[in-house]
Amino acid sequence: MGARGGPVEVSPAMTASVLPPTPVMPHGQRHYEGLIDPQGPVVPGEEVLPVLPALRGLLPAGGLQRGHVVATAHGGLLFLALAAAASASGAWCAAVGLPSLGVRAAADAGLDPDRLLLVAEPGGSWPQVVASLLDGCDVVLLCPPARPAAQLRRKLEAAARRFGSVLLVAGEWEGAQARLLIADQEWTGIGAGHGRLRARRARIVAEGRGAGARARSAWLWLPGPDGTVRAAPDHVMAAMSRDAGLGRDAGLGRDAGLGRDAVLARDVLAGTG
Amino acid sequence: MTGARAPGRVLVLYCPDWPGAEPGSVGAAETAGAAGVVGAAGAAGAAGAAGTPAVLGPAVRAFEPVVAVVEEFCPKVEVLRPGACAISVRGPARYFGGESELVRKIAAAVRAAGFVGQVGVADGLFAAELAATLGPDGRSGPDARIVPPGRTVAFLAAQPVSALGRPELSYLLPRLGITTLGEFAALPAAEAANRFGASGELAHRLARGLDPRPLVPRPPAADLSVRCEFDPPAEQSEPVVFAAKSLAEDLHARLAASGLACVRIEVQVHCEDGREISRFWRHDGLLSGLAVAERVRWQLDGWRTQVAPGGAGAPGDEGPAAGVGPAGVEGPAGVEGPAGVEGPAGGVGPAGGGGSVGGITLLRLVPDQLVRDTGRQLRLWGDAVVSDRVARAAIRVQAMLGHGAVTRPVPAGGRRPSDQMLLVPFGDTGVPPRPADRPWPGQIPAPAPATVYPAPRPAWVTDSAGTAVSVTARAQLSGPPAWLSAPGQPTRAITSWAGPWPVSENWWDPDRARRQARFQLVTDDGSAWLAVLQDGCWLIEAAYD
Repeated sequence: MGARGGPVEVSPAMTASVLPPTPVMPHGQRHYEGLIDPQGPVVPGEEVLPVLPALRGLLPAGGLQRGHVVATAHGGLLFLALAAAASASGAWCAAVGLPSLGVRAAADAGLDPDRLLLVAEPGGSWPQVVASLLDGCDVVLLCPPARPAAQLRRKLEAAARRFGSVLLVAGEWEGAQARLLIADQEWTGIGAGHGRLRARRARIVAEGRGAGARARSAWLWLPGPDGTVRAAPDHVMAAMSRDAGLGRDAGLGRDAGLGRDAVLARDVLAGTG
Repeated sequence: MTGARAPGRVLVLYCPDWPGAEPGSVGAAETAGAAGVVGAAGAAGAAGAAGTPAVLGPAVRAFEPVVAVVEEFCPKVEVLRPGACAISVRGPARYFGGESELVRKIAAAVRAAGFVGQVGVADGLFAAELAATLGPDGRSGPDARIVPPGRTVAFLAAQPVSALGRPELSYLLPRLGITTLGEFAALPAAEAANRFGASGELAHRLARGLDPRPLVPRPPAADLSVRCEFDPPAEQSEPVVFAAKSLAEDLHARLAASGLACVRIEVQVHCEDGREISRFWRHDGLLSGLAVAERVRWQLDGWRTQVAPGGAGAPGDEGPAAGVGPAGVEGPAGVEGPAGVEGPAGGVGPAGGGGSVGGITLLRLVPDQLVRDTGRQLRLWGDAVVSDRVARAAIRVQAMLGHGAVTRPVPAGGRRPSDQMLLVPFGDTGVPPRPADRPWPGQIPAPAPATVYPAPRPAWVTDSAGTAVSVTARAQLSGPPAWLSAPGQPTRAITSWAGPWPVSENWWDPDRARRQARFQLVTDDGSAWLAVLQDGCWLIEAAYD
């Protein structure tokens, strides 16, 4: 939040009213509706695999181009969310070297656990494992056990191109067509001894090569209160900051301090959700 | 009509409470609600299994020593599921001096090998399995119940309808005033089919003491078996398993071309030194090529476990296998001596080095008991179908790293994030021990953490004075947490936190009892953690990153 005028104190009650409403769902039912474009199932020949609408503006092709490598600075929800929409629309994913992958969080973001293969401990032969999986799956999520040599990296990139799969890497990968990282993040809903983690808003910065060289950034709910990953438009941030300030300065009750902009923002979010 | 002829005599060996085949695994899943009559529907076959031939690999491998004991008496043993196997009585009974003598010998051999088993003999698999699960009747000797020839219908007539192992019929029939199989069998067959559908027709045939499906009267002239030779002999299981998949698909194509399905499939493996291992697996036209390949793998693995001395270091050792290994190697040898069909124990000497079992020269798949293929209905909104391309890649990786290295996640229930997922090896089917569709009060509410450590990481949480934060029995904090440090990470200031949320789980079981206080912590770099305080130690269970 540093880029936007210092940390803002947000009380749980206020956050709850500004955040997008949590859809009430029977336990276990997935809530992809509205998150995934009805683009239909992934067609083998299709050149670009879909990504969540919130991530679309960050990637040069508006999606995951087959044969490309996309890297994130670390593992975590951003990394998993990159594969979510492709998985939800029928692509098979494999995760290599990620023994601590949170399947529940991935599923909440949209990744279908029924179409997920896990190779938690690939050991020394991880390059062969990745190459085999690039042949079989549409998306391979990789956390390399060791920093790969340039020659090995080029081999795996060539495998991805040949099989038309997407390689997502958590960590450094110099040849990546796009690289995403979390520049700012702040959790809401939690205070000093009260509340609980409800949502995180994070500013994602993406940079890349060639057509994607221009740095892009976007604010996301990563995750929102229901575990989904959505866009968090700027004016909501502004409204939240102003309201937080207003509420504090005027000493008004929390709900009374919620201004017109924030109400508008909430309605906007409810509309998009 | 061929379907009306009485089925042959069958002997079933049933091990009650077989470890590994717990409630929630195969047998229980097929026969939910039929307490005490576990797995009667295993015999009932196709309609009950509904397209999910789920068998737990480790449990099957652990059952192998028991099968080896029965194999001493009859080489054609059919494994119904872990904990139950069947043989045809006719031949061995003549050889061993009558039915009761055979039963006595088998029961004694199983006991001598260190297992607890019950033997049942009757006309037809269903009645025999039922007799075995009911336990000894006091007349046929210890651990045995023999239903005399021709008395099977009367035996079945006295059983409750729940013995069919079909929850819908067990519920419906008593409400219609039908409580025993005899009363059910008295209904006209056409009416039973009209009212209860295909599954009811099948149950009606079982209640009348007939085989569930009429066998094809005349075996087709053509040999439908498929084979693959290995030259040079295959030293490892993997190439054999790989070949088994394409062989099985070839076999299925041949069967489909003749409009047939097989009830059982026989897997024959020939070794370099002339030994032959063969095993029957229940098929019922439901197994995919991949599933047949899995059974070939289990057969080879189980055999290998037996050959490796003491089962030490064998793959997939779950509790039972480790204790069973020595008995499996010594038991058969003590009973029969080195002669006979006892391939595995004979292989101990030459195979001593490194668990190798000698090269495999031939794999043959033989369809057994051909029936007309009546087709099956896939579920309209089916499970994710594993495409060939994905399966091929997964099997290739399994060939590199081992069967358990490629897993698929199955959602499970629980209060800790690491409990909420079960990893099932690719190709196996797993049922989570704790169902996910229960409320699980006390679980951490959404959003879920994106990183869940399989083993929690140690950490230190201190207050602003630098003393470790503790929690009293009444969930009172010693002081607000201020600093978080973990091995390999710089110490970070805690900016906000929530908790303690006390959890006390499984207090009735001293081994699994767990008392924890849980916290969510946010550090000054913006990252959030799920930490627990247990027995005075701080652990990080998950990260919201």
